[in-house]
Amino acid sequence: MSTTTPPRASGRRAWVGALLVAGLGQTLVTHAAADDSDRIAALEQKLDQSLQLIRQLSARVNDLEAQAAHGTPVATVKRSGAGAAAPVAAAAAPPGTLAATQPGVPAATPPDSAQRLERVEQTVAEMAASAGQHAEDLGMPMHGFADVGVGNHNPEFPQYQGADIAELDFFLTPRLGSRTRALFELNFEVGSDGAVGVDLERAQIGYQFSDSATVWLGRFHTPYGYYNTAFHHGQQIATSLRRPRFIEFEDHGGIMPAHSVGAWLTGSQRFADEKLTYDVYIGNSQSISEGKLDMNNAGNTHGSTIVGGNLGLLLSGALDGLKVGVDVFQTRIEDEDLAPAYVTQVRSYGAYAAYDTDTWEDIAEFHVFDNEDLTGHTGTHRSDAGFLQMGYRAGRYTPYARYERGAFKQSDNYFAAQATGSSYYRTALGLRFDVDLVSSLKLELADTHLTDRLIASYNEALLQYAIRF
Amino acid sequence: MHRCHSQSSDTHRPQQRRPRKQLRSAGPLLVVLQLLSAALPGVWSTRVCASAPQLAELPADWRDDQSQPFDLRTLQGHAVVLTMAYATCHRVCPMTMRRLQQMQRDFDRRGTSAEFLVIGYDPERDDAAAWHQYRETRHLTRSNWHFLIGTRTAVEQAARRLGFEFWKYDEHVMHDTRILYFDERGTLVETREAAGYETTLR
Repeated sequence: MSTTTPPRASGRRAWVGALLVAGLGQTLVTHAAADDSDRIAALEQKLDQSLQLIRQLSARVNDLEAQAAHGTPVATVKRSGAGAAAPVAAAAAPPGTLAATQPGVPAATPPDSAQRLERVEQTVAEMAASAGQHAEDLGMPMHGFADVGVGNHNPEFPQYQGADIAELDFFLTPRLGSRTRALFELNFEVGSDGAVGVDLERAQIGYQFSDSATVWLGRFHTPYGYYNTAFHHGQQIATSLRRPRFIEFEDHGGIMPAHSVGAWLTGSQRFADEKLTYDVYIGNSQSISEGKLDMNNAGNTHGSTIVGGNLGLLLSGALDGLKVGVDVFQTRIEDEDLAPAYVTQVRSYGAYAAYDTDTWEDIAEFHVFDNEDLTGHTGTHRSDAGFLQMGYRAGRYTPYARYERGAFKQSDNYFAAQATGSSYYRTALGLRFDVDLVSSLKLELADTHLTDRLIASYNEALLQYAIRF
Repeated sequence: MHRCHSQSSDTHRPQQRRPRKQLRSAGPLLVVLQLLSAALPGVWSTRVCASAPQLAELPADWRDDQSQPFDLRTLQGHAVVLTMAYATCHRVCPMTMRRLQQMQRDFDRRGTSAEFLVIGYDPERDDAAAWHQYRETRHLTRSNWHFLIGTRTAVEQAARRLGFEFWKYDEHVMHDTRILYFDERGTLVETREAAGYETTLR
């Protein structure tokens, strides 16, 4: 998420160019939209005509069926109208069964007429569906999230207090075909310097081989543990007001590589009633720059990688809603703030359990770090972090509680080099209230203790208003 | 109460730190606003006129939670209550299901009957086994309740035709809580907002 600003002059040129491109794009799209409107109008007219024809045909079928049932010659029977009741035989048959599938074709109906009408009806229905489909495929839906808040501290950057805007997150999923997938998440967010910046949080293009295997290329949320891939940047869908501190996004104080740039194979496979989920990924190894993790969007200069995997099991029966899993990753992190750069081999082993039902949302996640100093001579260091969160869904209200802690060796350069790499523990109580389907208010009271680099503590009272659109 | 706070990285480290690069710029805001305004016509164009939907106009071929084919045409002559849901929804869909159960009790009390259809939003994640488990754990096992799985195209067509707006955010489905009531002729006669925020009669 580190967005580096290029030199000012070239930056201006770049943005002027981008604006021109965007303006040109708008002109073209507006022109295309006008054409689309005409086309849609024509399609809707055709659709309405088709539907009218279907109704007429349905009425005619009903007439024929009624006539056949009474043994009346077709030519002498008056039309019963489009609103004729369905045949009793069909109504009596259990829905979905084969007997009910062909409910009203009595034996007395001339077979060729019935079949012909059915074919015509089917053809018109397909035409109508096709016309509707073409109209629906136009354009690319754009959705997103936003949240604002107020508190005696900023929830992400506690050096600030008062009101804050947190993020405006645009989520785009262009339709590319039946198996090709794409996902982009463009986020405007306030950084640690208080300024608004833009990050392409996720940029994934993928191919779905089957329901059990999709491969993604690009920038994605590193699939470690549970929380990082269950919840993304849209805070409105999360129960809590913010992520646990140690798995925050990199530019919000997280000390784990929340994003990776590379390839990711993911899927699930059902075994009897249980479901196995898996993730395997490889990407650019991250680095530390300006006290924060940088996922190296453009690649890195030494070719090292992050490699990892995640295996989960969704249980059923009495344990329906429970997911348990383990994960592991290894990466080689350079601290670019030092000259020469320090290099640490980071190994993380994790385990998690999440119980997600209509009533409870309980999440536990734990990670152990077994890091090795590859530059200096400080050897290996073991640290750990974890959290437990419990939430109870009571209609529109969801009270929750969370305890989290991180014990990070400060002799380990991986943690020492990160601005937020100090050990801590935090307890929080919160309440989420769903104002409506698209917005929620969250109140959280938290007590945070920093326990090694600086011995300190602070209390927080935070309010957040989050929406989706 | 604020007692003390620091965000500094104050470790004892021998090397000189490089000067920090300047971060962030507000300039991209203009570009994205341009792109957003350019994309909006595309967004509106996806909304297809949904005048007087008929059950017969929906895609016909579905599977139920037993993986058996289910043809919507077999519902001719039955009143139908229809909604859409996804199996791992724990905020909105439970409210919808409770509302459906209340409607079922009302029907029973009045001595009338209806077929209840729940169309899955996400056929890639919610297969027949998932819906079967859903029914069992929530005791929604009456034979006139049908949990239907369709192709992605069929689901999207049905949703658009019936006015259900939804979009997927990774494994989450953003959706509303509408309940539709079709009469015995398959004509939509009432639409309700299951969360109780509003009720619309057509």
